[in-house]
Amino acid sequence: MNALQTNELVKKFGGVTAVNGLSITVPTGKITSVIGPNGSGKTTLTNVLTGICQIDGGVVVVAGGKERARIKPYQVFGLGLTRTFQNVRVFEQVSVLDNVLISLTKRSVLGSLFEKNKEEHLKKAEEVLTRVGLWEKKDAYASELSYGQRKLLEIARALATGADTVLFDEPYAGLFPEMVKLVSGIMRELREQGKTIVLIEHDMALIRELSDHVIVMDAGKLLAEGKPEEVLSNKAVIEAYLGV
Amino acid sequence: MWAVSLILGNMDIVPQLVVNSVIAGSLYALIAMSFNLVFGATRFFNLSHGVLGAVAAYTVFYVGITLKLPLVVAIIGGVVVGAAVGYGLERLIYRPLRKRGASSLVLLVASLGAFTAIEAVIAILFTSQFRTLSTLIGPTGSLNLGGGIMTYVQVAMFSSAVGVLILLWLLLSRTSFGRAVRAVSDDEEVAKIVGIDTNKIIGLIFIVGSAIAALAGIFAGIDTGIEPRMGFILLLKGVIAAIIGGMGSVYGGFLGAFILGFAENFGIWHISGEWKDAIAFVILLIFLLFRPQGILGKKRA
Amino acid sequence: MEYLVHLAVVFAIYAILAVSLQLIVGFTGLISLAHAAFYGVGAYSVALILENTGFGFFPALVLGILMSAIAAFLIGIVLSKFRDDYYALGSLGFTVIVFSIFLNWQELTRGPLGIPGINRPELFGFVFSENIVYLGLALVLLGLCYVFSTFVTKSSFGRALQAIREDEVALSVFGYHTSWFKLAVFVMGAGMAAIAGGLFASYITFIDPSSFGVPESVFMLSVIILGGLGSLRGAVIGALVLVLLPEALRFVGFTPDIAAQMRQVIYGLMLVFLMLYRPQGLAGTYRL
Repeated sequence: MNALQTNELVKKFGGVTAVNGLSITVPTGKITSVIGPNGSGKTTLTNVLTGICQIDGGVVVVAGGKERARIKPYQVFGLGLTRTFQNVRVFEQVSVLDNVLISLTKRSVLGSLFEKNKEEHLKKAEEVLTRVGLWEKKDAYASELSYGQRKLLEIARALATGADTVLFDEPYAGLFPEMVKLVSGIMRELREQGKTIVLIEHDMALIRELSDHVIVMDAGKLLAEGKPEEVLSNKAVIEAYLGV
Repeated sequence: MWAVSLILGNMDIVPQLVVNSVIAGSLYALIAMSFNLVFGATRFFNLSHGVLGAVAAYTVFYVGITLKLPLVVAIIGGVVVGAAVGYGLERLIYRPLRKRGASSLVLLVASLGAFTAIEAVIAILFTSQFRTLSTLIGPTGSLNLGGGIMTYVQVAMFSSAVGVLILLWLLLSRTSFGRAVRAVSDDEEVAKIVGIDTNKIIGLIFIVGSAIAALAGIFAGIDTGIEPRMGFILLLKGVIAAIIGGMGSVYGGFLGAFILGFAENFGIWHISGEWKDAIAFVILLIFLLFRPQGILGKKRA
Repeated sequence: MEYLVHLAVVFAIYAILAVSLQLIVGFTGLISLAHAAFYGVGAYSVALILENTGFGFFPALVLGILMSAIAAFLIGIVLSKFRDDYYALGSLGFTVIVFSIFLNWQELTRGPLGIPGINRPELFGFVFSENIVYLGLALVLLGLCYVFSTFVTKSSFGRALQAIREDEVALSVFGYHTSWFKLAVFVMGAGMAAIAGGLFASYITFIDPSSFGVPESVFMLSVIILGGLGSLRGAVIGALVLVLLPEALRFVGFTPDIAAQMRQVIYGLMLVFLMLYRPQGLAGTYRL
């Protein structure tokens, strides 16, 4: 059973078909990178998988479940998925701690009014924030953090959900080297725990280093997939990146 | 037999309903077109747009009745003052806010404050008493259009609405100013990069838009009368018309205004006229729910 | 002294309105101009029940809260489909519609003539006819609303509200049905506004539609923007300042009519200045 599978997935924006009949599989428990030149549809794919934009055609299968032609945003968590955003979407005028607690606390209206497991949630939040090195800043507003710190906060928020599949959309952009190591370490840990990672990235060195599986997109379609070494030396792939 | 004559009897008022719809539509069109002109460029709900009509109407009152100057002078004065106040608000409030990247909500709240303050100032200077400007015009004749009566003032209103539509059409499609306006409305950042002085263009847009709103207020004042809160309902109807026809589209504003005028006037055919406002807002809500971009508008990304 | 008591009652009523609106606007980010409508529903419900049935003030108040909550539920469902500026506009529309109903449904509300002769509350034979006693009642109700609101904002529900304010779509990805939360807080706020309405009706003993229109909604918004968004304390501070302010004007010697308009000028200018120079207001924790 694969963590994620798409079948002839289509997403259009006005005249542009960003995702054009994409059929991919994301194996469970592995780090799968999705690469491709700018505009190939990688972020759109992530947005479609997480309900940010609606599917126009084709289906998505999550963890061997039923075929879905519609994914609403609030269903994403229930499907065992979570994500970080390319254009960092933390909750700005909310504390760092609260940003993470949001992933942990009860989601229902009544349940959230009468929260029971406060200490448990706090402990988990501390765990996750310490892992990304933000526990000291727990009371600061997210808007007061540096760019790199906000990216780490997003990762902490995603980790706190405990989701089985995590989609990272360009998590490394703008990070200092120590932070890069930190994030890579987190991804390896997740893999050890049996979680599935989908990584959208441009940095080929990181991709080579981390990925078990690579999917290459171009103009909304699947161009190639396979082991990192094979894919990255594939002529068509190299042309897609160098060509216009 | 009586049923037939009852229906026929009712039909007698249809021509007047049509005329009333056209009159209302003309007034709303002036506000809606100018509102959309400004909205297209600045992308926020400028709630101070309507009060400019009140400012102009009261200026006409002051110049024409208190100072007893000729009507033409009064009207020009009204338009000038209305345009000046509108431009003043842009320079003093909206531009500084835009410069620091304020969200459209901040601008909306600021415009709400401006409108509240200006309306209250008018009430202080002139009291809340309802007054009429028709003494400036004297008794006028009227046209009989198939049973519907339209005074010459109301004819002028309709002609102005059409005239402004044509004028704006020419301005926007045939002049370099119009091209610049369309560029700024499309994407202010790109317009700046291309070298357009967006602040100057927006300033001019405010002057033109405010002048048209001023005209609407003057007409409303002459046709119905003036009172400090007149700007508010004018604005709301104009906004509803803009939403129906298409936010940001000048032509949409014209279209939506007449649709609203007809819907309101025919809507109250069988119920009390006091529900007119409620009808207008129900229409607003329907459009906001099902077609927020209006008839001619484009879907926001 | 009597006059101070009167001011305090007015303050308490507006503080309840401010605190309840703060939940909706300051914490959840919904710019609602509909609050005056719920204030009015509460006032009219209490007035009509007191006048036409044998029910006392307190049962009438409970019914008023219920009426307001139902209205808010229906209106809230429609409004939650709008975002940002369209929300403000839609909520404005509802205030106009509800105001039209107060004004035009004359068989029920007596329209512009209003409803006079509303009784003061009675509890086990004790009548709250003295203003000072009424003040006590008003402050108790304010206290209850404040405690309730604090409970809400400090809970996980409150945290979710703030996340909705910041980025509703992002929050939904983390498993939250955001429209339910928005509806819930809207109903809560409306229920408390109804309490203020009932207090107002029984205190002044006369109500008419003019107290429940758009200017009133704008005023309530000014109160919390001045006091500061995102802070319950700020809401109360804002109410205090804006209730005392017109009193300061009286001492400057304006006639009552002009004083009322001067108040509007100040509220309007205040909104403008706050947006320009201090969007977080006096004690706010959130900048618009």
